Formats: sequence, structure tokens, C-alpha cells
Amino acid sequence: MEGTNYLTVAYLGMIAALGIWTWTVVVRSRSIETRLEAVESSIGIDVSQADGIATQSTDGPQDDATV
Amino acid sequence: MRRRIPEMFLGIGFVGIMSTLFLGLNWAPSVSINAFESPAAQRIFYWHVPSAWAAFIAFGVLFTGSALWFFKRSPFGWRLHVAGTEAGLACGLMTVWSGCVWGAAEWGTPWDWTDVRLNTFGLLTLLALFLVLGRQSQPDGVETRDTFSTFGLYGFVLVPLTYVATRVWQIRHPGPVIGAGEDGGSLQSSMALVLFIGALSFTIFIIGHMMISMRITHLEQRLEHAQKILDGGN
Repeated sequence: MEGTNYLTVAYLGMIAALGIWTWTVVVRSRSIETRLEAVESSIGIDVSQADGIATQSTDGPQDDATV
Repeated sequence: MRRRIPEMFLGIGFVGIMSTLFLGLNWAPSVSINAFESPAAQRIFYWHVPSAWAAFIAFGVLFTGSALWFFKRSPFGWRLHVAGTEAGLACGLMTVWSGCVWGAAEWGTPWDWTDVRLNTFGLLTLLALFLVLGRQSQPDGVETRDTFSTFGLYGFVLVPLTYVATRVWQIRHPGPVIGAGEDGGSLQSSMALVLFIGALSFTIFIIGHMMISMRITHLEQRLEHAQKILDGGN
């Protein structure tokens, strides 16, 4: 019986954690997507230039890139 | 439709995990009462092993992403790194948590500081925690990414060490179940089937999570870029 209690606690905890984690990332993704679509369509920018850090690190010296 | 592929992976994976739990609790045979202190708690194995498997996949992705960023300056590599750390942390915590609960029932203690596998896996999870928290607290930049990528590269050493730990220094933790070679024939076929469904479900689930995490990182970078343009930068 004690083993079953351990099992129930472990499974319920992990299912809840998995569900909350999944729900959070999906909602966050959709929220950012909606905001971004609105912003990008209003100013008309190129998606390929999105990661400015990577662009900086290949274009210029690394020491200045974090500024 | 293509944009919803990660959500499909998550949905399929989640249903598979729930099916694994149902089969593990209701269909898989019980283990010998003589061999285990707590035979009922042994059924946590159908969650513990697949989540450890998924954690190793995530740490493999973290290593690949770290190498791609560090050596190739690949934005895709950085997104892989971020996805690998988050998935590695989540799966690592699930493995540690399920292991502690199982250990408390079976061994009478949730953690054994003398067992190498427990400690190397615990260190891997702590590494993922450090990378996730570090990335959130530091400003994004080349040096920050280089530092975290270096940790991702060197930290991967713990993965093969964790895998071989029960072969070299077996103390309390049972030996390998996945990829056990000639020693792996001790599982009954129905137990092996449930374990396989679990491993497959966790793999699909964690791939879905990493895809959505990469998408979020990409969206955040685009949002930051748009913000700079709005603020008058380039």
C-alpha cells in the first residue's frame, strides 16, 4: 500500500508538471507570435536578419558584440 | 498547418505518455515480491527510464547546438542550444524526481550520495538548470553565448559517464535497460513493450517541446530586432 501511495504522488506530480509546462510554452509561443505579426507587418522588416547577435559575431570583432 | 507541427508532436507524445501510464499500471505484469522491497513502486520505472532517455536526447541536442554556435556561429545552433537546455532540465527533473520517489520506496532513502550514476545525472540536471537560469539573467551577446556553449560542450562528458556508471561502479542503481546488450534480456516482453511505447512517446513529446522552444527563441529574436528598429537602431 505504501508503494502505491508513492507511485500515486509521483505520477500526479509529474503529470501536473508536464501539463503546466506544455500549456505555458504553447500559450507563450502563440502570444509572442501574435504580437510579432502585428509589429512586423506595421514596420515591414526582414525575418532573416532576426538574430542580430549572430550577425554581429560573424561581421565584426567579438569584443564589441555584447554592447 | 506546418506551423502547428510542434503542437501535434506535443499532443501525440502526451497521449502516448498517458497510454504508457495506463498500460504500466493496469496491463504490465507485477514484479516478484521477493526481488523488490516495494513492487508497486517499481511501476514508476515506466516513467523513470523513458524520461531519462528523453533527457539524454535533449543533452545530445544541447551538445550539437553548442558546437554549432561555438564553431559555426549558427543562429540555428543557438536555438538548438536553448531548446536542449530547457528540455534537458525538464526531463532531468522528471527523472530525478521519479528516481527519488522510487528510491524512497525501494531503498528507504531518496538519494544515495555514494552512487555514481545518481550524482552524475544530478550534476547534468544542475548544469541544465544553470544554463537556463544563466541565459535568463544575462544580457544576450556573443560572449554570453560562447560561455554557455562551452558549458554545453564540456558538460556533455557527463552523458557517457552517466551511461557507463552502473557498469563500472554499480552500487545501488540497477544496470542499464536501454542498450544493455546481452544483459538486457531480463525484461518480460509485455514490460519491454510498455517501456518501448514510453520511450517512443517521450521522444515524440520532447521533440515537440524542443521545436516549440526553438520557435519561441526565434520569435523573441525577431521581436528584439523589431524593437531595435522601432527605437531607431538598425
